Amino acid sequence: MARPVALDTGGAAIRCEAVTKSFGKVAAVASITVTLAAGRTTALVGPSGCGKSTILRMIAGLEAPDSGTILLGSDPPKAVARRGGLAMAFQDPSLLPWRDVRANVALGAELARKPADAVDTLIELVGLGGFAGHRPAELSGGMRQRAAIARSLVSAPEILLLDEPFGAVDAMTRSRLNAELPPLWRDRGTTAVLVTHSVEEAVVLSDRVLVLSDRPARIVADIAIDLAPDQRGHDTQAVRALAQDVFSTLELKD
Amino acid sequence: MVASRSVLWLAVALIAWEALDRALHDSVLVAGPIAILGHLMDNAGLLARATAETARNAVLGFLWGNLAAAALAALVVVVPRLERVVSALALLLFSLPLIATGPILRVLFGPGNGPQVTLAALAVYYTTFLALLVGLRAVSQSWTDLMAIYGRGRWSTLLRIRARASLPYLVIGLQIAAPAAFLGAMIGEFTGAERGLGVLTLRAMRGLETEATWALAVLSAGTAMAAYGAIGWLGGRALGYVPVILLSASRPRASRSFAARLIEAAGIALLVVALWQVAMDAFDLNRFFAKRPGDVLTFLATPANRQTLLAALGETIAFTIPGYVAGLVMGAGLAALLVLSPPLERATMPIAVALRAVPIIATAPLLVLAFGRGFTGTMVIVAVMIFFPTLVACLQGLRQAPGQIVDLFGLYSASRWHLLRSVRIPAMLPAFFASARMAVPAALLAVTTAEWLATGRGIGVLMAMTASTSDYNMLWSCVAALGLVAAAFFAAVALVERAVLARYAPEQLA
Ligand SMILES: Nc1ncnc2c1ncn2[C@@H]1O[C@H](COP(=O)(O)OP(=O)(O)OP(=O)(O)O)[C@@H](O)[C@H]1O
Ligand SMILES: [Mg+2]
Repeated sequence: MARPVALDTGGAAIRCEAVTKSFGKVAAVASITVTLAAGRTTALVGPSGCGKSTILRMIAGLEAPDSGTILLGSDPPKAVARRGGLAMAFQDPSLLPWRDVRANVALGAELARKPADAVDTLIELVGLGGFAGHRPAELSGGMRQRAAIARSLVSAPEILLLDEPFGAVDAMTRSRLNAELPPLWRDRGTTAVLVTHSVEEAVVLSDRVLVLSDRPARIVADIAIDLAPDQRGHDTQAVRALAQDVFSTLELKD
Repeated sequence: MVASRSVLWLAVALIAWEALDRALHDSVLVAGPIAILGHLMDNAGLLARATAETARNAVLGFLWGNLAAAALAALVVVVPRLERVVSALALLLFSLPLIATGPILRVLFGPGNGPQVTLAALAVYYTTFLALLVGLRAVSQSWTDLMAIYGRGRWSTLLRIRARASLPYLVIGLQIAAPAAFLGAMIGEFTGAERGLGVLTLRAMRGLETEATWALAVLSAGTAMAAYGAIGWLGGRALGYVPVILLSASRPRASRSFAARLIEAAGIALLVVALWQVAMDAFDLNRFFAKRPGDVLTFLATPANRQTLLAALGETIAFTIPGYVAGLVMGAGLAALLVLSPPLERATMPIAVALRAVPIIATAPLLVLAFGRGFTGTMVIVAVMIFFPTLVACLQGLRQAPGQIVDLFGLYSASRWHLLRSVRIPAMLPAFFASARMAVPAALLAVTTAEWLATGRGIGVLMAMTASTSDYNMLWSCVAALGLVAAAFFAAVALVERAVLARYAPEQLA
């Protein structure tokens, strides 16, 4: 059998068409229709419990929508998952306690059936260089999250889903990671979706911010972030202005 | 420090034992440590060969039984819909006393070590199955999500995540399995083997050789406990820790109606009968000794046969229930008392855990020596068999009384009794009933073993007799009857459990 030509790691567009989801009587997501452009990073912001993780989990194929469809490129999520094209950093780092950091990061490549050559570089990059041989129990919460981020990047996915990846990371490390990590997926053309509680972080990391309403989640604002790479810092004028825009829409719906 | 204190206690116990022997000079009851040691040394060659033989059969059965357990547990975890049926069948098979299956296996296998190995396997598979069921599910959803993100399914999750997560639980299962395998192998030897500790034990008992009986009891108990300890030690070394879990058949869910449970029970009964028939036919087993369900029904249609069976069964049940209740009540009672004194509790727990590992087969001959071949002896054997597991389980249950509630009671300086009554005992109830459930097969095994070894009455003896006179219709009827008794026994325990929990710990029923 002829081998298919190696896929460009470049991402696919994420298309959500009238997607809804409830858990029993709790409506979590109310009819969302949106297309997230291929190769771009989109941030989701919204109040706690509004349904952000649920949206991410549906894109990942972990939950089936009650109605509506989600396509990644032209494929349903599970098909992309099967070919190793998906990766996600969960809100809780979900490392395997019996594996050390290196083996946990390598697991991402292993499960996606991709080469594991980037493992050590990534561990270095997320600042865990000295801890590659440590078990998760020996790490702080922030360190575990960084290991989980490295795991999600190691398979060079087409679609990258980040659910509050820096939630437990200290402010200093966080701003360093905010600067150093995005090029890793942007330069490969990965389509990324990021959930964050920090509006400023959403602006710094993304090309587009979607503001969600209180539960059940609807899109209440859609803000394009057109910033040159050198403008993407936490204390630049441009970022502060855009963050102000996002804030104003967040406050509107209260 | 702790080790030196244990050594001290051991020395004190040995001296007291020796003194008792001297005081009861010439009695047929007790042999002292020095006499036992003498016997062990004088017969070192014979005993070593017998131990090796029994250990070999036990190890083979241990391997097969645990392999079967792992396969069953994996199946149930990957196809959860099968759980209820698989669990019920596994429990039923486990509840058939080894003494009952032994003679059947002997005619199926003929001479050799087939029955010993099979009985050892039957003695271990169920507890390992339970332990693995807990272990394979001790997996957080985020790990299964992680597997799903990479498109990996149930089998991949089973192999990469669940199998590894279950290892500490497997260690617990294997630990309990080690003495059980030894017990199975020895019972297999009772059913007509030529070599092994079981054969020697039987011979020593029948010849009223006190020293030999004691020496064999010490040897088999010691070997079984050493295996228990070695597995725990190795597991602890390899994994860093071993969790505390209670192994028990799951409680029937309360939410289901009585009718639904009845239908399910009937379905399982039909399935058992069908499996029985199909297995006999599939292997084309000789109708002379491999009886089918139909044969048993025809046989029991004759009133005389029925009466013989029911009379023996009645005796057995009358002997079982007092021992069962006594073992449970004493185990739970001692646990409740011990928890009032934490230092005493800490000292007792390891001893109870260790004694739990002593196979009943090792101590039964001694208890017969001490308490006679009648009602008392049998009752004590049943009670002892149940006592230690219950004590351990209840102590574990009592420790789980949520710390905060206990603190709160401390704050209001409630009395210890009040605390015991209103917090600790409700906390202990689930553990108590878990042991009550697991005590059902244990009691049936103990009572049939005692009957077979010593008392000369009841269904244990009926089976031994029918096996030697080739009355295979009666033998299979006895086994079927014991299966029904076990099922009824379980149902009764479940009924009591639901009533008690509804009254004293309703939150447990939710
Ligand atoms: N598996 C589930 N079963 C029942 N309800 C659920 C489940 N998952 C989410 N929910 C409910 O759906 C709603 C949205 O949850 P979701 O986790 O998507 O929120 P979120 O926006 O990610 O919140 P946070 O910012 O706190 O992480 C919540 O009310 C939650 O209780
Ligand atoms: Mg969330």
